[in-house]
Amino acid sequence: MATTVAAPPYATAYETKRGGLWDWLTTVDHKKIGQLYLYTAIFWFFVGGLEAGLIRWQLRQPNAGFISADLYNQLFTMHGTTMIFLAIMPLSAAFFNYLIPLQIGARDVAFPRLNAFSYWVFLAGGLFMNFSWLVGAAPDGGWFGYVPLTTRAYLPGPNIDYWLLGLQILGISSLAAAFNFATTIINMRAPGMHFMRMPIFTWASFITQFLLILAFPIITVALTFLQFDRFFGTNFYTADAGADPLLWQHLFWLFGHPEVYILILPAFGLVSEVLPTFSRKPLFGYPVMVYSIILIAFLGFGVWAHHMFAVGMGPIADSVFGVTTMLIAIPTGVKIFNWLGTLWGGSLRFTTAMLFAVGLVGLFTIGGISGIMHSSPPADLQQTDSYFIVSHFHYVLFGGSMMGIFAGVYYYFPKITGRLMSESLGKWHFWLTFVGMNLTFFPMHYAGLTGMARRTFTYDANQGWDVENMTATIGYFVLAVAMTIFLVNLLRSRSKGQRVGNDPWGAPTIEWTLPSPVPEYNFETLPTVTSRYPLWDRQHSGHAEVPGAPETESHTEHEDIVDVAEEHRGLPGEPPLPTAAELGIHLPSPTIKPLLAALALTLPFIGLMMNKNLILMIGGGAAFVLVMYSWLLTPIEPEHHPPAPVGGGDKPMADSPFWTAR
Amino acid sequence: MPPHPARRSAALAALTAGASVFLAACSKDVPNSTLTPHTDLGRDIDALFDILLWGGVIVFTLVAVGLLYVVFRFRHRPGDPEPKQIHGSTVLEITWTLIPALVLAFIAVPTVRTIFATQQPPPADALQVEVIGHQWWWEFRYPQSNVVTANELFLPTNRTVHFTLRTADVIHSFWIPQLGSKRDLITNRTNHIVLTTDSTPTMAWNGFCAEYCGSSHANMRFRVFTVPPDAFDEWLAHQAAGPVFSAPGMPAPVDTTMTTPPEVTQDPALPRAFALVDTFARLPHIRPSTPLPDMPFAATAGDATRGAELYRASPCIACHTVQGVSPGIIGPSLTHVGSRTTIGAGLYPNDFEHLSRWIKNAMALKAMNYPQGQGMPPMGAGLPNAMAQYDDQQIADLTAYLLSLK
Repeated sequence: MATTVAAPPYATAYETKRGGLWDWLTTVDHKKIGQLYLYTAIFWFFVGGLEAGLIRWQLRQPNAGFISADLYNQLFTMHGTTMIFLAIMPLSAAFFNYLIPLQIGARDVAFPRLNAFSYWVFLAGGLFMNFSWLVGAAPDGGWFGYVPLTTRAYLPGPNIDYWLLGLQILGISSLAAAFNFATTIINMRAPGMHFMRMPIFTWASFITQFLLILAFPIITVALTFLQFDRFFGTNFYTADAGADPLLWQHLFWLFGHPEVYILILPAFGLVSEVLPTFSRKPLFGYPVMVYSIILIAFLGFGVWAHHMFAVGMGPIADSVFGVTTMLIAIPTGVKIFNWLGTLWGGSLRFTTAMLFAVGLVGLFTIGGISGIMHSSPPADLQQTDSYFIVSHFHYVLFGGSMMGIFAGVYYYFPKITGRLMSESLGKWHFWLTFVGMNLTFFPMHYAGLTGMARRTFTYDANQGWDVENMTATIGYFVLAVAMTIFLVNLLRSRSKGQRVGNDPWGAPTIEWTLPSPVPEYNFETLPTVTSRYPLWDRQHSGHAEVPGAPETESHTEHEDIVDVAEEHRGLPGEPPLPTAAELGIHLPSPTIKPLLAALALTLPFIGLMMNKNLILMIGGGAAFVLVMYSWLLTPIEPEHHPPAPVGGGDKPMADSPFWTAR
Repeated sequence: MPPHPARRSAALAALTAGASVFLAACSKDVPNSTLTPHTDLGRDIDALFDILLWGGVIVFTLVAVGLLYVVFRFRHRPGDPEPKQIHGSTVLEITWTLIPALVLAFIAVPTVRTIFATQQPPPADALQVEVIGHQWWWEFRYPQSNVVTANELFLPTNRTVHFTLRTADVIHSFWIPQLGSKRDLITNRTNHIVLTTDSTPTMAWNGFCAEYCGSSHANMRFRVFTVPPDAFDEWLAHQAAGPVFSAPGMPAPVDTTMTTPPEVTQDPALPRAFALVDTFARLPHIRPSTPLPDMPFAATAGDATRGAELYRASPCIACHTVQGVSPGIIGPSLTHVGSRTTIGAGLYPNDFEHLSRWIKNAMALKAMNYPQGQGMPPMGAGLPNAMAQYDDQQIADLTAYLLSLK
């Protein structure tokens, strides 16, 4: 489908500088922003992991005096908050950014500058919240921050303020990004990319954006009430004024349960890309997979009170929320079975990405089944707030989300960098993760069922929990080794990894037609899509009778790599790819304004922390308005060019209706 | 890629290790297990859990066997033909939509039945127990007998108990794993648990706060003693009366309602339940083993009479009740503190060594990050924020007095 494009009759005045700090600070390229998300989120993932390590070291034996109760409470609060809001969500966002435009055949997202703004706000929110460690006042109310404990009367320090304002900042980032991606998917699909031809990851992402759009306003309201209570003396949650603390719980979980699907659906999407490629078979039951994502998301809004069975809502509410929760198991089960159906009869190549994807199918199943166990309210009354729950959600979030994300990282790393991650280190990473994760989290089921409450900084001897806790701590160290291997592999492979071509895995979707790494304009010519798996269609109708045909490449180091032979372009030392200017493709100019807007937006929150500093609050607000004004007056391109007359159905970005309003 | 033998044996070894840990865990003593309930409520829940557990084990086994079969059977081998490009199967997909639905129906029906069965209103003759959560200790009241105690709950065997759950501050959760479900204690609300204890055994259980409630959430424990009904009635009558204190110079309250059970070996004025509890208190899972922080303490014994006089003029009386002596209600009632097995909400054994250090500097013994300063302040001379300036001998006297309040 690639057509030769004549050099344009004119040259653009502006050329993007490659590399350099300024380039990263001003970029509006979805691929660079995706990488910023990826590396920032991995950083926070390691911070959260270190917090987990201190927790596990304290719990290795009964009555350990390693850390104080107050420090422990800060650690578990920040471990949960960091992993959810600063690691898994932005790791998913990294893939949304990098992949959605490539998978739907677009030049960028609908609002590239808003996209940069989302990233900078996310970074600001993460730094804001973690700054609390430096002043020794990290949040200590638990990641679901139940009132009235988190009101000023019971936790008067700045700890909870960092948490709630940090979450408010992160919420702005998530909402801006969600509107951006939803708009992108609805409007910027390439010709022929019908909804039911979209790659399944894009489908999962699409639904996730609606979850974000519908769920985040709810926690924003809940947090705003708390913010007003804590800073301005209102009484939304003040116990002495007769407030009902269940208001917070309902609002929080009405956000919090869809949040679970925000965390898991993108991972499901990634796995649904990886399994077909390495089975060399299409995804089994694509329409049902799509419908099950939609159904999971829809039902996800009707089950929130299953987090609250112990508050005593009465038998009717218990029954309703118990049964709706069980219903979610049906579409989730269908996904598991359809993945098995995808593998069945395939020709499975166990690359690291595939191992992690298969790992998700097995481990998420355990998390799903323990989830069913506490969908039953009477059973939940023995399980909730015990280590059984801790085990359950780590099987879902580590065994599910993180395994899916690791599969995605190994799978897409060559597309991002033009190089493979080491498969041998990758396999060490997988097996140590698999063993470490089960050692850490499986015994917690039993600790919970035998009476160990969660969020306890210590426990007494002779309670029957010693073996489980020691095993979990050993498992943590196995995981720590695994994650160190991952980090080394990731950083080393950026420059040392084996160089690959467009389609190293023999994958079926259109992002694999692009050079690796992808040029800044993505597609020289916007593709016309004729099926769900266009690359396989081409191979099936053409001379290559087997997609991939790996055995012909057995002379390479990696027998599973099918595309190593073609001429490489795009990395230093290789022939350059044509630039956007040479191709006459209009790209939005880099601009520092999204970063400035994010900084200005953070100022009022900093002012609020600094004893309600009016200068910072009003000045920051005014600065934000000014930056936005200047942003809107900045043209998307430095000078106007008429749309270039390029062939093959190309459509310059500037023609998109979404380039005029942002 | 051919299966890698070393890799496969590593996986097998890991599985074996995992399984042996699980088996070791199953075979050891688990004093707080939810799987061996001793009430009707606990058994209803456990019966439901068995359905869920076995259902879950069967489903997981089927998925895992399927996954392992697929992974080994369809592994790529050189020369494999291209796999058949199957896009789905309506029949199969409908089947595996309906089967989970059917399985869930088998779970949903007993679930709903158990929900309604376990939330029935209590019978009129149920024993009323009010549970009040405080940061970080438990207040227990028996309103039918006008008894207020703390951190140790006595229940008669074979009796329906109606717990009324409230909190004095933040949200807590009342959980005795072996006796049944947990319920939250919610600010400005009242919750309920109704359960019937088994006729046997007479036993001691641990209870916990299960909802994160601040600094010492982990240290908010309590003990539960189920004793025969007659021993329970004696205990209740004893608690309703003033403290037994027969130190020289103090008038001992005369309680004519109490009879002396013959098998009691200790002070004959004390109810039979105390003898049982003395035995329970030595059980490994009941006797706390929290390490006592290093604290210099110069005295080894105290005088209860001097302690009683000290107490009457101490700041203790502002927060603690001793029936007939002090009216405070902020802290736990001390009327019968000498009869309890633990102090600090199940944190330390209740003996001279621990109680004296507790009085001297409770803050050093338990994390108590109170925002409004309503925690137990240090009483020892020269300590920061001390509320009193007692030397170690005075504290020893106070300790002796409190321990005598049986």
